[in-house]
Amino acid sequence: MIKDITIGQYFPGNSVIHKMDSRVKLVLDILYLVILFTAQKFTGLLIGILFIVFCYMLSRIKFIMILKSIKPILPLMIFTAILNLLFLKGETPLFSWWIIEIYPEGIRTSAFMLLRIIALIVGMSLLTYTTSPIMLTDAIERLLNPLKKIRFPVHELSMMMTIALRFIPTLVEETDKIMSAQKARGAELDNGNIFRRAKALIPILIPLFVSAFKRANELATAMECRCYHGGEGRTRMRQLHTAPRDYVAIAVMFALLGGVIVLNFIPVLP
Amino acid sequence: MDIIKVEHLCYDYVATDEEGKIIEKNTALSDVNLTVPEGQFLAVLGHNGCGKSTLAKHFNAILTPTEGKVFVDGIDTSDEDRLFDIRQTVGMVFQNPDNQLVATIVEEDVAFAPENLGVPPKEIRERVDDALKQVDMYEFREHAPHQLSGGQKQRIAIAGIIAMRPRCIVMDEPTAMLDPKGRREVMKTIKHLNRDQGITVVLITHYMEEAAQADRVVVMDKGKVLMDDVPRKIFARAKELRAVGLDVPQVTELCVMLEENGVDISREIIFEDECAKAISQLPLKSRTAVIPEKKHAEEKENSDIIAKLENLTYKYSIGTPFEKTAVNNVDLSIAKGEFVGIIGHTGSGKSTLIQHFNGLIKPTEGTVYVDGKNIWGKDVNIRDIRFKVGIVFQYSEHQLFEETVAKDIAYGPRNMGLSEEEIKKRVNAAAESMGITHLLEKSPFELSGGQQRRCALAGVLAMEPDVLILDEPAAGLDPKGRDKILGLIKQYHVQSGRTILLVSHSMEDIVRFATKVLVMNKGSVFCYDETDKVFERSSELTDIGLDVPQITRLSRKMKELGIDIGEDIYTTQRAAERLLTLIKGQNK
Repeated sequence: MIKDITIGQYFPGNSVIHKMDSRVKLVLDILYLVILFTAQKFTGLLIGILFIVFCYMLSRIKFIMILKSIKPILPLMIFTAILNLLFLKGETPLFSWWIIEIYPEGIRTSAFMLLRIIALIVGMSLLTYTTSPIMLTDAIERLLNPLKKIRFPVHELSMMMTIALRFIPTLVEETDKIMSAQKARGAELDNGNIFRRAKALIPILIPLFVSAFKRANELATAMECRCYHGGEGRTRMRQLHTAPRDYVAIAVMFALLGGVIVLNFIPVLP
Repeated sequence: MDIIKVEHLCYDYVATDEEGKIIEKNTALSDVNLTVPEGQFLAVLGHNGCGKSTLAKHFNAILTPTEGKVFVDGIDTSDEDRLFDIRQTVGMVFQNPDNQLVATIVEEDVAFAPENLGVPPKEIRERVDDALKQVDMYEFREHAPHQLSGGQKQRIAIAGIIAMRPRCIVMDEPTAMLDPKGRREVMKTIKHLNRDQGITVVLITHYMEEAAQADRVVVMDKGKVLMDDVPRKIFARAKELRAVGLDVPQVTELCVMLEENGVDISREIIFEDECAKAISQLPLKSRTAVIPEKKHAEEKENSDIIAKLENLTYKYSIGTPFEKTAVNNVDLSIAKGEFVGIIGHTGSGKSTLIQHFNGLIKPTEGTVYVDGKNIWGKDVNIRDIRFKVGIVFQYSEHQLFEETVAKDIAYGPRNMGLSEEEIKKRVNAAAESMGITHLLEKSPFELSGGQQRRCALAGVLAMEPDVLILDEPAAGLDPKGRDKILGLIKQYHVQSGRTILLVSHSMEDIVRFATKVLVMNKGSVFCYDETDKVFERSSELTDIGLDVPQITRLSRKMKELGIDIGEDIYTTQRAAERLLTLIKGQNK
């Protein structure tokens, strides 16, 4: 049933990774990306991948989820690999046929890129798997807080994100209901050419917009009743605290970065 | 001490053009005077558009008076500097629980108001936990709102207000969109807050049984206070109430009927218990009514079956952890021309069941026949079935989209590929049967809620389906709107002779019209029989958690006191007739 959809891909849990401060997690995840792009050698990349696999083990997220997170970007990965394979020229072709020439450098680079993309996606997914959307929003709001000084609407942005997250399931359900109602009146939603299909969407989109505006209006009044007046003077119930584990994580991540940089300078390694 | 004081309040809704000139003025309130003492439970009644919501919005300065004054705890609501004091003192809860919740986690939502007020984090935590316990939702604190039922969501909305520690809560039809179970939960919470926590409650409602539980009732009409008294005195004025589109509890109606027939009984009775007691003290000539032999409609041997379900099973989300059997092995035949009422609580599978009749849902197992044909058979176009079996969904006004009412009604017929001439004919006929002919050229978005509902209904009627299925057609309407739409449906049934399936939570609505009743429970057919026969098992209905009409509950109470007027009591009319035979001794 549509009600059961999960928003984001958060898997509640109690592991060390789950318990980490979401701000630290977010920053370290970005640092992890930096590490992946710093690594110039297979050894470095491999260490990065082993590290993220280790984190998955710590978080007790099922390994099948790693595969699931890779699946949607598979076409992109194949595309990148083929491009690198075909167009990267080296000195002596390993294989040539008609206008296609494949060099060992090409094979190396595609394999490298492939591994890097995989590590990237798997690392990003770990963040969304172990952090609830609300924690993420919180982390973003607090990390961006200094930008308030240059009048960047940090609070407004995070409020909008929260409300959007809150209303996605409601509006999905609503869309479902409107679609049933119009189908019951003979609407054909999945037949005909693109123009007919676009036209068939009107009876669904208009009621949806009307209802969304009505909801927005009512929500605004309800928020006013609860003394909402922007971010000024607002406190938060949930306080984010850094714990020793966060510092350990930061230390580990910097060690990893240092290691990868050092590896880049050791010529004998692949 | 008066928590709310309203003096000569007038309010106009003013529409202005681009240059600020007034183009339209609607007076919503005129010269309202009202005081609410601290700790009172006040119910406000009135049909839609009588100004009660406008009045409520003045209680916490969402609106400020055009003329006159409103004081909250002695503070003038037009004093903008004290706005947050006012809103902390008087909290407000609205009709639609979905549109009041802001956060994605229950406890975060409850924390919203104290966070806005700059309360220190530790105290917010205490307030949130306390508020959630007050509404009995503490164990759901980490749930997401969309995982909760309507009644639970509404209780979260109430908790969100309580977290401000208000002294008064104003609720604008908080139970209108809920099922009977959710309504009971919310009423229980309201009473707990009022009785045990001493919070003043102003409850706007369309349910007379809810108003009967208040300390005081105010009846509004045309922007004025019409009556202001304790509930029993208000409901005793049944005729005046009906004149302004309201209703009275069934037991009061019964007492009024008896009194008008010369029985010496007070009109000021609003609860079953006192009514049963008052009746038991009457000088009765007999204590057991003779129940007349019923002429059961003879089983028509070859009555045409218009729709039939065979071994129907439907499962959601097969193969996932969410797998659930919504409908379990249902066999059902609907005869042509029948008016079938379908009841069952939320989650009993009734909504899933009805969507099988026009192929919106494909059964997991089993077969659906309409007019003798298997609708999922090879030679059947499912769209043709949808024109044969029309479904009007709950809150059907949400499906309106066209520029004019006429065009919207024409949407279905146009999809059928009919000629312009035929479409026009059908639009007019459908509009007439729903009483909206005068609105055809208006935009559907300009209409009142009840009119929109009828417009949506006409949109399905215009397809002239053989079977018309209505899901909660009267939900959320005021008593007048409810009577109007149900009356029109009944009239349509009589005139067209078509088959109607009416789904409702409200047993009162169903028993008024249905010749047969289908009771669904946990995805299966609990019983499917003539209305009288179903009600002979009314205690079983209560056992599976269904609400029976108040008058049925009364008849059971009387039985406990030794007065038996039969098991088949579900209308006040019948109860009054039986009682009169006991009183006057006209037993044959």
